[in-house]
Amino acid sequence: MSDWHTHVFTSTYTADVSGVCSVLYELGGMTVLHDPSGCNSTYTTHDEPRWYDTKSLMFVSGLDEMAAVMGDDSVVINDVVKAAADLKPRFITLCGASIPHIIAFDYRGVAHLIEEKTGIPVLPVPTDGLKSYISGVGLASREWIRRFADPKVPVKAHSMNLLGVTPIDFADQAHVEVLKKSVTPEGYVVNACFAMGDTFEKEAEVYAGAVNVLPTSAGRIAARFMQGIRKVPYVEGVPIGSYMSQQIQQAIQDSEADGKNRTAYDDLDTDGNVLVIGEEIYARSMATAVNHTAYAKEHQLKASAIWPDVNEGLNEDDLIKRVNAAQIIIGDPLFRNIIHNKETSMIEIPHEGYSGRIYHNNVPQFANCEFDIEERLRERK
Amino acid sequence: MNEYQLIKDVTYEYDADIGLAYSSPCRGIWNIVHIGTQIPGCHQIYVCPTSCLRGVVLTTAEMHAMDRLSTITVGEDNILEGNMEETLHDGVVKIIQQLPERPRMIMIFISCIHQFMAANYQRVYGILRKEYPDIDFVDAYMDPIMRRKTPAVPSLTRQTYRVLQPAEHLASQVNYIGNWFPTEEYSDLTKHLRANGIDIRELSTETDYDHFKQMQNSAMNITYHKYASLAGKDMEIRLNQKWVQVHMSFDYDVIAQDMNHISELLKIPAVSPTEIQAQIQACEDAVKELKQLVGDTVISLDYTAVDEPLSLAYYLLKHGFNVESVFIEVFTEDEKVFNDLRALKPDLKIYSADNWNMRVMDRQHAGSVLAIGQKAAYYNNTNNFVDIIWSAGMYGYLGIQHLCELMRDAYLHEKDMPDLIQHKGWGCCAK
Repeated sequence: MSDWHTHVFTSTYTADVSGVCSVLYELGGMTVLHDPSGCNSTYTTHDEPRWYDTKSLMFVSGLDEMAAVMGDDSVVINDVVKAAADLKPRFITLCGASIPHIIAFDYRGVAHLIEEKTGIPVLPVPTDGLKSYISGVGLASREWIRRFADPKVPVKAHSMNLLGVTPIDFADQAHVEVLKKSVTPEGYVVNACFAMGDTFEKEAEVYAGAVNVLPTSAGRIAARFMQGIRKVPYVEGVPIGSYMSQQIQQAIQDSEADGKNRTAYDDLDTDGNVLVIGEEIYARSMATAVNHTAYAKEHQLKASAIWPDVNEGLNEDDLIKRVNAAQIIIGDPLFRNIIHNKETSMIEIPHEGYSGRIYHNNVPQFANCEFDIEERLRERK
Repeated sequence: MNEYQLIKDVTYEYDADIGLAYSSPCRGIWNIVHIGTQIPGCHQIYVCPTSCLRGVVLTTAEMHAMDRLSTITVGEDNILEGNMEETLHDGVVKIIQQLPERPRMIMIFISCIHQFMAANYQRVYGILRKEYPDIDFVDAYMDPIMRRKTPAVPSLTRQTYRVLQPAEHLASQVNYIGNWFPTEEYSDLTKHLRANGIDIRELSTETDYDHFKQMQNSAMNITYHKYASLAGKDMEIRLNQKWVQVHMSFDYDVIAQDMNHISELLKIPAVSPTEIQAQIQACEDAVKELKQLVGDTVISLDYTAVDEPLSLAYYLLKHGFNVESVFIEVFTEDEKVFNDLRALKPDLKIYSADNWNMRVMDRQHAGSVLAIGQKAAYYNNTNNFVDIIWSAGMYGYLGIQHLCELMRDAYLHEKDMPDLIQHKGWGCCAK
């Protein structure tokens, strides 16, 4: 019987709490993870490549049995107030894992109380530790934009934002710079990149962007929120190589013109002899990029994509079936252990959201108009 | 707010409730996955929400040991439908059926959420034991919410040996319980017991599951580390094995007392006074030579390197070293050690290593620092450090002499501190 819960061989995507911490990392706040322990060191060890070299504030509350059973929120409130008085963050974010979720911890109410005591804005982000980082990045981005971004700022024509951008998907700032360059049509400027490489003030003007670009599904929640507030259209796609780059740039221009949302990747069938495994928008973009190569046409290659569900991750049974049916796998190196067919080859594109820091130094700049997937298809092992 | 307190301003009843906690980049201390991979033939199954699974899975992946671990993700559906037990049972069955080899032992780790959902996991284990009588199932816990009563490492150390059953005892066989590093080279006790025909069993040297289970035939369990006390006590009650704790002290008399106490219980000759005096003299020579080398270089040490950091600080101060700071989690020494140290060096800086304000600590230090332990090295930003955890198999006079050698090497040769400290699980290899 197939069930999504059991993973005999494969790893797990990073959780919502890491997404919260990651997307807010550079904005001058203090993130408090309401949890007994463990989630904080997981994030700082495996999901946060900036941890050693910067002093961004992220702590765990150390929720214990007694405070949870008694519903004693005063412990976390007092601890946060004490730390905030000393560290003076620009804002505080309160998120949490599964125990606050099942005891119905009142994020909004506690955030309000801390804010009253400290005078510092507090963002409640009710994560539950059960979902993937896509949810955490999205909820935190939306909350931050709701609180700090000015929806009345004038829109700059031919400008755009990137949403959902974190090292979990794009490894480092150098990668983000080529990403920005590769999605930007001629005559356009990047208004804000939420949230890598920009200041608090610049992010606060996110509503000045005429179009939102989502190079990851982690940007969807914020994009939909901004569309609801100010009708900002969004475009989904990762500029993997020249074809995808052109598609995205065209989509941005079209969306600015007609205000409609677009996807820059193709609709894909679930069958094919090339399987891309990864975050949804990346996987669909990569599969599209593969299908539009001359090599794919020459060799009758057809790429499909599989991505983790926000709630359930990747169903290992389904994944193995799809892997067994493919000739070429494009995915994180940790998926190698489920490839049992000797004829199947693999193109390794590490994903921090899956394998963490293990292959951090080997993540190629795939979100790049100059990235050549065709060359990798030819040279695959 | 200062990150440290002077020891003269601290009481022995130190408040370890630090509030918000900071996770430093130091990763050498083992977590539960590292310990679980030390049992040959054991497969680990973690049953947790995804946020908890992530850390253990990637720890395993970094050890290239993904074949030693599987997972069962707890989801919202389990909470709403109350089917934790079914998911646990069916998941374990599926894992057993799909693994290429039948594991001899399976440790099933449940998490905080199971405690709060009142999941009857013991009933599931009972069913599994009937369904798979050839597999030893052991309940294990990744439930930090219960850490006030049963912290993760002491709990797992106890559960590691739960598979052992009451059996005949051999008078000449003893166990070291909770030792993850071999003590062969730098432990006087090991050498003394071996010299007197005692067969020492410790998990760090076990490579065969059946041989590991022979630990149930030992007459005595010796624990070096405080985290192993729960296991020592449990085995004394369950298996009727005598439990003896040794102090990881740097006090020559305490070392001799502990060794002679164990010798007496095992009815073997005590370590001779001549041998003890010779070893003490060797320690004095080693530490004197070290002092001549390092002079007044500032020394800082932490609780991850040695079991009794205050005892080590006292020892070094008594021998003229310039010990400036100690990074601790809680006090692990007897109160006398604390009081003696406070009297000897009232301005010794005591840092709470995981406190939130350590995140913004100024890690620059005027002059060079010789650190003992990863956290002391990181917080003092020094590449001259002794890179060990949990005493690294060192005990007694030989342990002191070897530590002097490690300090000498650390003083003379810089290490790549940022790289080394971020490596998870110092010295751990999956079996």
